[in-house]
Amino acid sequence: MLSQTKKEILGNKSFHKLVSVRRRVSWLFLLVLLGSYLAFGLMSVYSPAILARPVFSDGVVPVGIVMGYAILTLTFILTLVYVWLANSYFEPLERKIMAELEL
Amino acid sequence: MRVWLITFVSAVLLPATDAEAATTLASGSGTGNELNITAIAMFFVFIAITLVITFWAASRTRTRSDFYAAGSSIGGLQNGLAIAGDFMSAATFLGVTALVYSTGMDAMLFVIGGTLGWSVILLLVAERLRNLGQYTFSDVVAFRLERKPVRTMSAIGSLAVAIPYLLAQMVGAGALIQSLFSLPYEYAVVLVGVLMTFYVTFGGMLATTWIQTIKAVLLLAGGTIIGVGVMVMLKFNFSALLTAAAEAHPKGEAILAPGVMFTDTITVISIGLAFVFGTAGLPHVLMRFFTVPDARQARRSVAYAIGFIGYFQSLIFIIGLGAVVYVSNNPEFQAAGGGLIGGVNMAAVHLSKVIGGDLFLGFISAVAFATILAVVSGLTLSAAAAVSHDLYANVIRHGESDRKTELRISRVTTLVIGLSTMALAILLEGENVAVLALIALAIAASVNFPVMFLSMYWSKLTTRGALAGGYAGLATALVLVLLGPTVWVSLLGFDKPVFPYAYPTLFAMLANLIFAFWFSVSDRSQRALAEAESFDAQWIQSEIGPVQEKL
Repeated sequence: MLSQTKKEILGNKSFHKLVSVRRRVSWLFLLVLLGSYLAFGLMSVYSPAILARPVFSDGVVPVGIVMGYAILTLTFILTLVYVWLANSYFEPLERKIMAELEL
Repeated sequence: MRVWLITFVSAVLLPATDAEAATTLASGSGTGNELNITAIAMFFVFIAITLVITFWAASRTRTRSDFYAAGSSIGGLQNGLAIAGDFMSAATFLGVTALVYSTGMDAMLFVIGGTLGWSVILLLVAERLRNLGQYTFSDVVAFRLERKPVRTMSAIGSLAVAIPYLLAQMVGAGALIQSLFSLPYEYAVVLVGVLMTFYVTFGGMLATTWIQTIKAVLLLAGGTIIGVGVMVMLKFNFSALLTAAAEAHPKGEAILAPGVMFTDTITVISIGLAFVFGTAGLPHVLMRFFTVPDARQARRSVAYAIGFIGYFQSLIFIIGLGAVVYVSNNPEFQAAGGGLIGGVNMAAVHLSKVIGGDLFLGFISAVAFATILAVVSGLTLSAAAAVSHDLYANVIRHGESDRKTELRISRVTTLVIGLSTMALAILLEGENVAVLALIALAIAASVNFPVMFLSMYWSKLTTRGALAGGYAGLATALVLVLLGPTVWVSLLGFDKPVFPYAYPTLFAMLANLIFAFWFSVSDRSQRALAEAESFDAQWIQSEIGPVQEKL
């Protein structure tokens, strides 16, 4: 890469915006997902009784199974949100950077 | 080329399959299972289709890019299916179903973890990997670090994952095919080995991708029919499924609570880490991101893959519990000595018979076979690429090899891998190969992923740090598996394990990170300075793609 181009890109505001927003979104989503997985794992060791308890007092479906499916659903939703963000925000921003730098 | 292909097929494959079919038809039953004509017919149809695909792909495989990356011509949806196919191996479909069948809620840890690993790939890896690399993930690690030592290490990492994983699949495949098709173990192993060698040698990534795609569609369809079948029998009442499962299971209500199998924090965390970060360190999965044209399609691939995988994992939980209800107490499936015919791994297969009779059982058996073939082909290709692209072209030939020689090396490697894994798999008949899969995933999580992740995100990573971290992770994983209960006690017969945990991932990953950190920050060499300086250029390319091409 030409050092001139490199300097221009590093000095470009849109580039920094793209990178910082995308990085924040990625880490936030990851933290939420891995955090809920860790919570599930730790609960299954330290407080199995909570995971075993039925969600409704007269039902049989335990909290753990609902939580498992909830994490799967959350994974779906965050994936969709990320793809939507990428298409409607990150990609236009990338095109803007290319235009600004006349690449 | 064409003559070669035809000679290869007629000399090796046809007599072999004919002989096997004849033996099977003549002997009928080898393991107490009845011969299933539908299964064999469907299985031959599948093989015929894959052979046609391989011939077609061979005529289109000319360049290195064709061979390693299907010419980067695959679309996001198809690649998503192929990636999901890599994940939905026989181990996932039959093994995790068996785990749900035996332990109930504890298996949720696998069901969730198996899906979350893909979120790590989506959010941290996929787009950057595509922007930086060409054919293998080693391209990314070696982007700004010193090529030879770093490539050597990541090629070792790739092989240390692909070969044990391949071997585990082959041994499992032999046993599975033995009980599905009443085919002797050795024949089954040779059949799988010969077909996989054939697909990869001639059809490269293009054939491997198409075979994986078709199998993924078949497996998703089969899984859906089993899952929906279970729910239809229970009138779509999920509570009824849980109640019936708890009644039918020998452990009763305990399967609706955690703690049947995993009871300590270290084990739970190690398993979680292996899934979440190991998936992003599997060389055959990472290779798939180079089969699409750009970062956008890479992102779409993994988003589709998450959809398919999450859906499939949700089904597996239902299938496993369904098997508890309809298979576990069904006299038809009880082996003479107690337990299921063919072992717990057959739970899903038996359930398919309850749901759709012999015809559907045949379909699921054929799909299970197709799954094995497709997954071992991908693994073989990634191992061959580690040898020909990373070791031969970049380490031995300094990045200047001619196309013909490199492709020849790749094909010869494929042949060598095919023959040696067949031989080893036959030697390992009846052995517990769980340890091989354990090693593979632990190494993926504690060698490949951390090194690739740090090289992408940490500007201060130096060649010295990457090597120290990678080899420390590898050594820790291997030593801890050796001293742990799986090898030290079960295989070597000592009374007590030196290292108490079966899963080494937590410690091996930490070893990698600590060594990589310390040997990078303490690296004051000229090379380290230059490497830190070139991080910016790599970072820009990882975020917005190869800028130079657009100039």
